[in-house]
Amino acid sequence: MSGVSAPPPHSAHTVAVLLDDALVTLNRAFGVLRRRNVPIEGLALHPSGTAGVSRLTFVLKADPLTADRVAQQLHKMIGVRSVMVLANDDSSTEAKR
Amino acid sequence: MSEMLSGAAILCRALVDAGVEVIFGYPGGAIMPFYHALPDHPRLRHILVRHEQAAAHAADGYARASGRVGVCVATSGPGATNLVTGLAAAYMDSSPVVAITGQVSRPMIGRDAFQETDIVGITLPITKQNYLVEDVTDLADIVAEAMAIAVDGRPGPVLIDVPKDVQNQKIEWRGAQASGAASHRDPRAGARGQSLTPGASPGSLEDGVRAAARLIAGAERPLLMVGHGVILSEAYAEVRTLAEKTGIPVITTLLGISAFPDGHPLHLGMPGMHGEVHVNRAIQNADVIVGIGLRFDDRVTGNTASFAPQARIVHIDLDRAEIGKNVPVAVGIVGDARDITRRLVAAVEPRRCERWVEHIRGFVRTRTESYRGDLSPEAILASIYEASHGDCTIVTDVGQHQMWVAKLYPYQRPNTHITSGGLGAMGFAVPAAMGVHLARPAGTVWAISGDGGFQMNMAEMATMVQEGLPVKMAVFNNGYLGMVRQWQQFFHEKRYSCTPIWSPDYVKLAEAYSIPGYRVKEASELADVVGRANAEPGPALVEFLIEQEANVYPMIPPGGSLSEPIEAEPAAAAGD
Repeated sequence: MSGVSAPPPHSAHTVAVLLDDALVTLNRAFGVLRRRNVPIEGLALHPSGTAGVSRLTFVLKADPLTADRVAQQLHKMIGVRSVMVLANDDSSTEAKR
Repeated sequence: MSEMLSGAAILCRALVDAGVEVIFGYPGGAIMPFYHALPDHPRLRHILVRHEQAAAHAADGYARASGRVGVCVATSGPGATNLVTGLAAAYMDSSPVVAITGQVSRPMIGRDAFQETDIVGITLPITKQNYLVEDVTDLADIVAEAMAIAVDGRPGPVLIDVPKDVQNQKIEWRGAQASGAASHRDPRAGARGQSLTPGASPGSLEDGVRAAARLIAGAERPLLMVGHGVILSEAYAEVRTLAEKTGIPVITTLLGISAFPDGHPLHLGMPGMHGEVHVNRAIQNADVIVGIGLRFDDRVTGNTASFAPQARIVHIDLDRAEIGKNVPVAVGIVGDARDITRRLVAAVEPRRCERWVEHIRGFVRTRTESYRGDLSPEAILASIYEASHGDCTIVTDVGQHQMWVAKLYPYQRPNTHITSGGLGAMGFAVPAAMGVHLARPAGTVWAISGDGGFQMNMAEMATMVQEGLPVKMAVFNNGYLGMVRQWQQFFHEKRYSCTPIWSPDYVKLAEAYSIPGYRVKEASELADVVGRANAEPGPALVEFLIEQEANVYPMIPPGGSLSEPIEAEPAAAAGD
């Protein structure tokens, strides 16, 4: 176990992922969350408007560092087009190819 | 012109088109159509392993030694699941491997058919990408894409699961699509080059390099830490130039070993859990660390909270997700190690670090380990170095011998040290060495294992004989699962639970496989026996009866600080 210090405050981050419309890609994306056991709230999958591309949206309850790591791990997946993280204070960062 | 081809034939052609020359595999029910088509493609040399795990490790070894994709093939069900350890090893160590598995026919999928497993689901977390081929018309493009993804950016394994009826399906063949699905993909994040600083959006590459150069210029106690990325991008000359231009001492991680010549005045050695005291103390005293192509894993850092407490870290890596993952960075630069290091060389001013190097020299401890008799790991490794004239590839397994080799073998040539670092898969060395031989047929390859790891995949001796693979095998036999025993000694009250391990007579075993086998008990026999084994035209096995309770020193306890190593006690080390 790594050194334990006071955990940074958890806050809500809305994560929007544009990814290939394939179950295996979706499964892989969920695997990123499952492996890190990151709590999520709300989960939606919709057509993005572009053929073959879906939009996956969920709310992450995590500290900003964890949210960023999740975004980076999603971002490097084959089949993920873009990842956008919106913090609850309205600032947003975009991890784009 | 078009012709009717089966999916199996298309698979073979696609592999040939991708430049594949060697595949490691094992036939079975669901992959039989592929094996039926295989003899029509003599360019594909098939190596029949004795266990699919060996096929994956061999493909991994081939990939690491050649820089090209290693290919392994297995049937559905147990064949596919046996690949899993090898794929996980390739994933952890960024090795480009493509695995092709047979699958039950499409109508049977999901019905718990004979030898059906969801190998795509099983391998999701340990592959860069994987495919279940549902339409034979996609097959050639999928193979081309998989081969590209495996080597693209940060390399890694890709799996293609091909149902038996797709292999049997015949279609009109017009050749693979010229573009291929792979080519329309955007470049990987890292390929573009970006710099990342905490709290800021990615800046330009040039900004990152300039910031790194400024940190180097202002540093009093700088270090270079180089990892596998330097080998993957062949940035040897660039790293050496950077070190020599700035006088900064160089640390090589386990997978970075041989990226920088051992014995170079600026080379310090390996850091981390079994790093030498002076290497870890250098890290703990450094004010700037430039990490190139490494991921600061826990075996390198120990407790990250106390890792390099005074250092500002520059982290250069192709995989953006690595930047800041394990240690906080002052400057993160995403890009190819060779490209970024070349830019950094141009950006830094020449300088020297003589006082700092002298300071580090003051940390060096004389090795105090002692071994019963004189058959020490040093002596054994020196004999292999001498017998091969320093010109061989060493493939190690996992455990004490792996650490001794990492610390003691004087690597001079780039990429001549191959080991399972991230996954730490015992049983890796013997099959991986077969792959290394096929990638470097003119060179000598030594597979060094302990008596535990060797017994995991020793059946591959039959593969070596059948396929003519002259791998030299060294077995460090101490009668224990030595590294676990060492942990039991240090952390579990010397309760040697289930670590004593019996071995067969390796000389007779080798003989049963028609392989010359030797046993070395005394150091005086080393030069002669190792020399003879090295000169054998075919495979050879040498068993070394080493001190039973020798330890690897120093050792940072797991989760401990690099500042607090366990060091050898001269009186206790000789087997109490």
